[in-house]
Amino acid sequence: MKRNCIAMLLAGGQGSRLYALTKDVAKPSVPFGGKYRIIDFPLSNCANSGIDVVGVLTQYRPLQLNSYIGSGQAYDLDSSDGGVFILPPYQSAGEKGSWFSGTANAIYQNMGFIENYDPENVLILSGDHIYKMDYSDMLREHVKHDAACTISVIQVSMEEASRFGILATGEDGYINEFAEKPKEPKSDLASMGIYIFNWKKLREYLIADEADPNSSKDFGKNIIPAMLNAGEKMWPYRFSGYWRDVGTITSLWDANMDMLSPTLINLYDPDWPIRSKSPIRPPHYAGEDSSIVHSIVTEGCEIEGSVANSVLSSSVKVGRGARVLYSILMPGCTVEDDAVVEYAIIGENSVVRRGAHVGAQPDGSDSWSVATCGPNIEVGAGAVVKPGAMLYDSVSAGEGGER
Amino acid sequence: MINLHGLILADRSSSQLSGLVKPRTSASLPFAGRYRLIDFALSAMQNALVRDVGVIMQHDYQSLLDHLGSGKEWDMSRKRGGLRLLPPFGLKEERRGQYASIIDALTSVQGYIRDIQQDYICLCRGSLAANIDLAEVMRRHVSSGADVTVVCSDRNPESSHYRFVTDEHGFATELLKHHGGKGEGYASLEVYIMSKKTLLGIIERCERFIDSKFHRTGLGGILASGGRIAVYMHHGYAAHINSVSSYYSASMDMLQAQNRHELFPDERPVRTKGRADVSTHYAEGASVKNCLVADGCYIEGSIENCIIFRGVQIHKDAVLKNCIIMQDSIIDNGANLSYVIADKDVEIGVLEYLSGSPRFPLVLPKGTVI
Repeated sequence: MKRNCIAMLLAGGQGSRLYALTKDVAKPSVPFGGKYRIIDFPLSNCANSGIDVVGVLTQYRPLQLNSYIGSGQAYDLDSSDGGVFILPPYQSAGEKGSWFSGTANAIYQNMGFIENYDPENVLILSGDHIYKMDYSDMLREHVKHDAACTISVIQVSMEEASRFGILATGEDGYINEFAEKPKEPKSDLASMGIYIFNWKKLREYLIADEADPNSSKDFGKNIIPAMLNAGEKMWPYRFSGYWRDVGTITSLWDANMDMLSPTLINLYDPDWPIRSKSPIRPPHYAGEDSSIVHSIVTEGCEIEGSVANSVLSSSVKVGRGARVLYSILMPGCTVEDDAVVEYAIIGENSVVRRGAHVGAQPDGSDSWSVATCGPNIEVGAGAVVKPGAMLYDSVSAGEGGER
Repeated sequence: MINLHGLILADRSSSQLSGLVKPRTSASLPFAGRYRLIDFALSAMQNALVRDVGVIMQHDYQSLLDHLGSGKEWDMSRKRGGLRLLPPFGLKEERRGQYASIIDALTSVQGYIRDIQQDYICLCRGSLAANIDLAEVMRRHVSSGADVTVVCSDRNPESSHYRFVTDEHGFATELLKHHGGKGEGYASLEVYIMSKKTLLGIIERCERFIDSKFHRTGLGGILASGGRIAVYMHHGYAAHINSVSSYYSASMDMLQAQNRHELFPDERPVRTKGRADVSTHYAEGASVKNCLVADGCYIEGSIENCIIFRGVQIHKDAVLKNCIIMQDSIIDNGANLSYVIADKDVEIGVLEYLSGSPRFPLVLPKGTVI
């Protein structure tokens, strides 16, 4: 049962900045890039990196995530003595039980699971980034530099730096400073929220942190600074590939649009497949009068209208005369005849009725942004949904929409 | 669970499929962009909650074995029972490796049939493209009290086939061999439900006669001795794939919404081996009209009236009309293809011009490089 390294994936966050898209599901199960859900990226990276035990910590609206991950078969992670394990908060004898109060607390509450595998190291991942990374390479550096903790870092522009956890390194290359979202960043090395810890060390710090009533039980805010203050050896693992946070509507839309440029992130690479559990549907059909350019289209779609610069998940229908531009259509949604969807995100199984118009082209104003329709709603015939709208509920036919 | 066992005949391929069945048997012939023909039989059984299925195979079954795996795609990877592959075994020396007929194939797996736990057996061909509601056929079979229920279609295949003439209650009065096109009665889809006892009876009966046939001797014998054969009409799409032209026309049928929805209804999904492909990417200058396109393709050129399988690349200025392009083939810049069936892993070079005709599509065998 002993493992050199196991992974713990923090998938309990609500993703509140995705608003309607996460009203029923956790952020990691939000559809992405046609075939995928966000969690496919870290789970596929684990499988490709040879990590065969992954604990997935769930809390917010986990039902869809649980059934999606299943036994991890889609990622070839189902094996007789390893696999993917869903770890919800639980109750012990004599306790009331409690929710995970922070990222560090979530791991603290599952120390028993980790110890089953008696690992040397534990990889901590989050379920809200799009990237391909070989964790085994990161682990090699971690071991080589005898680090208590290795933090994966990426170079960002100085303007962006204040949105991230920023690191500084000493002459020996080890990390000597860490600041969470600094107002005046001292470097451009941002933490990607991917950590490898020596398990014995992490265990000590988790127990100490748990006892501190003032701690917010968070890796970035508490554990990392505490280790740094104690003089632990902390190594930065420099990553230079494609990496995007998809925690906001704008960043989710941007990253989806990136999928239209295979030069940014190559998902066709047979040596590093990103796997997903996709429903088996017939190939997509493009009709007599359809037009599809600069877009990705998934199985089960039926396209009669025109689609440009868009990402279509499985089983999407686009009717005759309908136009879809610069938009993301999630699984099972329908755009009826003569409707227009531009610069918009349409949630799973939602319907845009005949002649309705969702979103608008950028007009240069500050108030403009992508229009979003949550899952399972209906935009009535002829209704107008303005740019920047965030729909939680259906809109009646002919209505002017809401801002 | 259902008291029904599946038995799929994947032993023979029609010689008229020529190049298409060189690397495989017809049951594993790729169809409709991502499927293999046997997926229809397996999925029909899966959707009727049949979990124990035997597949009778004889030669060229490597690609079939690869496709079936443990049967988990069809929920047939079970602790007990599940999918059983039945390659030739224990035949008398002179018959080894060559089943001359259905009855020959059934005789060779007689031991397997005797051990079947269920009381009823559904016998069908692995090369039939149809989405049959087997649970309903089974219900009707049991309530009709017939010895055998045969699934028939109101469509008429162009090739030779069996037809059942019925009385006003839907029971067969006559079994005819027909040369193709319209005729008396209804075309058999060669999907049969009968009790295990009846099937063993047919095998025994055939063993007593020289040159016996499943249909003539077996089913004909049941009718002659006063047994009852009920006819169940399947009204959805159905095609027996037994020649290059029937393969081509059935493939092109899938471009029509009605046919496609009959073969792939939401309530009875057709499952196949997954491949974890990416979505298909259409580049800036791509053009697509009336096409079925699977995942994992990269399309820069123009395609019209085509079936494009998984992982196909169609490069700049290539123009494809009325073609079927199978898995992972590459069509290079400016190539011009019409009425071509390109098997898996075909590569067509820059500016090549290739054309077949609607009645004689040009078949490029697996791995052809031009």
